[in-house]
Amino acid sequence: MLRLEDLSVRFGGLTAVNTVSLSVGTHEVVGLVGPNGAGKTTLFNAVSGLVKPSSGRILFDSTDMLRTPLHRRARMGIGRTFQIPQPMHELTVRENLIVAQRFGTGAVDARKIDEVLEFTGLTDKAERHAATELALTELKALEVAKALATNPKLLMLDEVLAGLETNGKRRFMGMLKELHEKFAVGILIIEHDIETISNLCHRVAVLNFGELIADGTPDKVFRDPEVIKSYTGASDA
Amino acid sequence: MKMSKTGLAVIFAAYVLVPLLLGSNSYVMSLIVAAMIIGGIALAWALLGNLGGMVSFGHSAFFGVGAYVSAILTMKAGVPVLAAMLLGGVGAVVASLAMLPVLRLRGPYFALAILAYAHIFKILATEWTSVTGGSAGLASVPRFPTLMGFDLSSKTGSYLIVLSLLLVFIAAYRVIRSSHYGIALRAMHDSEDATRVVGVNSTLLKALMLFVSAFMTGVIGAFNVHYINFLEPDYAFSGLWVTLPIVAAIFGGYRTILGPLVGAVTVYLVDQLIFKNLIPSGHQLILGALLVAMIIFSPGGLMPLLRKGTRRKHAAA
Repeated sequence: MLRLEDLSVRFGGLTAVNTVSLSVGTHEVVGLVGPNGAGKTTLFNAVSGLVKPSSGRILFDSTDMLRTPLHRRARMGIGRTFQIPQPMHELTVRENLIVAQRFGTGAVDARKIDEVLEFTGLTDKAERHAATELALTELKALEVAKALATNPKLLMLDEVLAGLETNGKRRFMGMLKELHEKFAVGILIIEHDIETISNLCHRVAVLNFGELIADGTPDKVFRDPEVIKSYTGASDA
Repeated sequence: MKMSKTGLAVIFAAYVLVPLLLGSNSYVMSLIVAAMIIGGIALAWALLGNLGGMVSFGHSAFFGVGAYVSAILTMKAGVPVLAAMLLGGVGAVVASLAMLPVLRLRGPYFALAILAYAHIFKILATEWTSVTGGSAGLASVPRFPTLMGFDLSSKTGSYLIVLSLLLVFIAAYRVIRSSHYGIALRAMHDSEDATRVVGVNSTLLKALMLFVSAFMTGVIGAFNVHYINFLEPDYAFSGLWVTLPIVAAIFGGYRTILGPLVGAVTVYLVDQLIFKNLIPSGHQLILGALLVAMIIFSPGGLMPLLRKGTRRKHAAA
């Protein structure tokens, strides 16, 4: 479904993503791990269109994404969340989803919005002001809900569990697992917690200094000496 | 669209009571019309600011282009005045196409770029003598027609035309603001990336708001030229056509629909009827002080202040 071919993103002299080739199949759950600054979020930004790759290709359902304007990528099925939640300011939770659905799918379906609200546990907060009246867990849930409202085929989750306390994390994990089944999406998830990744993902890709250093099943990847070396300095695992 | 009782009462008063009570006083009527012209530009300017998130110092370009297009169409092509007025709006939209490249600029950069455009159009109007009459301008631009025995070119007739235009603008603004486009535009203000990744084409939406705002301003410019029957570049593209509306919109509350109009009528009439008598020269000083006070005490402007007042009254009752 998603295929990156020799993707590089350079900011001036800094190479944030360096000739990365990676794929995510339909319905596949792939973890993207690596120390801070490894280029994970930059890779997300390149796929969703917020930054322009310096070289390489991004194919989504065999369509060249580099020729596809940012706003059309959501319509094609690419949904994402932001690490620091970015609710649409001035709007209520429901309006956030209406905008996402209307522009991400081309039509408004109130029933689907209710379904997404219920699934993400935001039904009670639907009429709240998104930017000012939500707690962190709810903001993270809204990130997922906005992406779901666009009816994605691929959901890119950027550290949705970070900053949540243990219980919140567990509930969120349950939601992500269920989401994968219920909405039939492929998932590419950035996460630091190795247990979470092992629990959730079919495959793991490891980035270090912008380069892909491993790609395989969690079992195999987390035993790879090079991965362990890159990880031990930077992670709490 | 729901309309409040107060709204209906105000519309009734504007259409019936104002002409009946003040129609014979042509000085007051001309002040009211002038205030409404500024109010119309203020509304269009605030629409671009409130929905599109863009601050424009160049609305005099749309005002001037609308005026020239309408005047030239009536004088050289014999187009009926009322139709030409709408085409003046279309002309302003065409002029705004030239500004599309600067839509990607933000904040002060957009404001300055669009100011530069306003000057380009002014130079064009001055130099393109064969069409625009150059710096000498155009004299005896056709007046509004007589419709079913009612002379629309009279003070009262012109007042009713501009009043109707403003009501249409208000209705259009309300429809746009409550549409999905309007909601997305509101969202774009502080969270542009978040809106774009869910599929909102932010550049297109901003462009549409620029077109709507340019159209409204162009129509007002065209109305004005048929109202005063005379046009020259320095007047048509004067910076006053943007500074006064900005003051009015900010004073009244640019994030509300009615604020800019209420601001224009309040600021202009109070200035002309009261301050001008108190201090014949330099009376704008008081306006400046009032604007500063408003920004300090109610940054949202007059409308939010009034609303807060009524809410407090309700709470006390």
